[in-house]
Amino acid sequence: MLNIILITALMLMGCSKEISPIDYGKDQCAHCRMTIVDKKYGSEIVTSKGKVFKFDAAECTINYILDNKAEESDLEMILVTDLAHPENFIDARTASFLITPKLRSPMGENISSFPDKETAMKFQSEFGGELYDWNGLKQLLGSR
Amino acid sequence: MSSISGLIFSAVFFFALNSFCSATARDLNVCNECEYKTIADALLASEDGDRIIVKSGEYKEHDLAINKEISLIGEGRPEINAELKGAGIVINRSNVTVSGFKIRNVDVNYLSEPAGVRVEYSDNCIIRNNEFENTFFAVYLAGAKKCEVLENKIAGLARTESSSGNGIHLWKCRELNISGNEISGHRDGIYLEFVSSSFIDGNFSNKNLRYGLHFMFSDSNSYSQNTFETNGAGVAVMYSKFIIMKGNTFRNNWGESSYGLLLKELYDGLLEGNLFYKNTAGIHLEGSNRIEMIGNDFIENGWALNALGNSYDNKILNNNFINNTFDISSNASKSNNTYSGNYWDKYKGYDLNRDGTGDIPYRPVSLFSMILEKSPESIIMLRSIIVDLLDAVERIVPSVIPETLIDEKPSFQKRT
Repeated sequence: MLNIILITALMLMGCSKEISPIDYGKDQCAHCRMTIVDKKYGSEIVTSKGKVFKFDAAECTINYILDNKAEESDLEMILVTDLAHPENFIDARTASFLITPKLRSPMGENISSFPDKETAMKFQSEFGGELYDWNGLKQLLGSR
Repeated sequence: MSSISGLIFSAVFFFALNSFCSATARDLNVCNECEYKTIADALLASEDGDRIIVKSGEYKEHDLAINKEISLIGEGRPEINAELKGAGIVINRSNVTVSGFKIRNVDVNYLSEPAGVRVEYSDNCIIRNNEFENTFFAVYLAGAKKCEVLENKIAGLARTESSSGNGIHLWKCRELNISGNEISGHRDGIYLEFVSSSFIDGNFSNKNLRYGLHFMFSDSNSYSQNTFETNGAGVAVMYSKFIIMKGNTFRNNWGESSYGLLLKELYDGLLEGNLFYKNTAGIHLEGSNRIEMIGNDFIENGWALNALGNSYDNKILNNNFINNTFDISSNASKSNNTYSGNYWDKYKGYDLNRDGTGDIPYRPVSLFSMILEKSPESIIMLRSIIVDLLDAVERIVPSVIPETLIDEKPSFQKRT
């Protein structure tokens, strides 16, 4: 009986769609191959099958989605990092984004992410730049 | 007549003006017993053309801003200790020289990115013969032109990759000369983003946490005679065009997904006379086109060259491949690159007509390395008799490995 419970538990674990934290300095970006180091900009996709892809910046995540023509419905979670709280993931689909040359992201697009529009506007008043939401950001990078 | 006297007058006037100017260029001395006790005081009092001579001793100063065309010269290696209160020196003016200092303990700040010496939108700077210790970023050039960073010794105390800055950080610069520096203990030893027409020569970059040298979006640059040793990975050239790489040594870059040289979306490059020794992968080539690899030595690497299928029109000519576990690996069924005249120590052909070229072609991709590309776990089978057998069969009856990945004229002798 105990065996059956254990095996079932293991099987359930195997199927879970969990966030896997980025091992900064070790993990490689799935899109640009760079070692991920900047804790303000790490990003991640968890697919509906539970597969995890890690990225060094939001622009790599978007370009990876665009290049591979991934359907948003197949992506269980899209995560970006809250600039003000390094290593803390937030949901990309509800996040606010600021593009300003004064905050340089690792891949040259200078995209910073914030959990809500208020915080993003606070940083905008200090660092300048343009505000975007997730879909706006995807359109912007897709038009390049 | 009057025009001649006018000419003489103006010549005399110019001569007088010149000597007047040089008479005003002064030496300002800084030490305990000198006229100026602190570097900040001397900087305030200085004028364009002056030299500030700082005698040996410790100066607990930070955020020293240079806004005049001066030379700041250390005698007997004076120490600027920023005491983790801010940055070291910030240059906001062209034609400034900083030499002979030891700069220590720059604060860590992820937003302002303070540095030992930072240059902001200025030209013709010279940063020479300084030592940097525990500076978040050591040398940081933003929007600089025609600057020289020479013979500096840079030692970071990077504990983790993300809590340290780059040794020499170059952003939106052109026509730089970065030579003879020693860099260790930083995130990237030398980092270039949007930099063009620059030379990076004779540097020694070791024990940096990520890359020894890192190009991002930087076209028309050259790096030669550098040594990259025991970094997270040796050099990464990414999203760039027209890069010349000559006579460098890539050594001991070991670890999972580590390599001597990563070429990711590099278009048009020349890689000549370099040594790749004891790296997990000598070169990892991905999405890179029209690169000529000529006369390089690949010795005792795990993989000498990992050429992914999305790389086209590269030429791999006259290289030595010696004692590598795998010479070439690829995930493609077709090769779009040219291999010719290389020396392969695993070549088992013969040279009956004695022209120095093997009489039968060489296929540098082993069957096992193809299997490994598809399922990395099978590495456990390495050196087993099954693998030897598979490789032997594949050699006799080629069926899986890329048909066109072939050296038609393998060299019979090592290139010396």
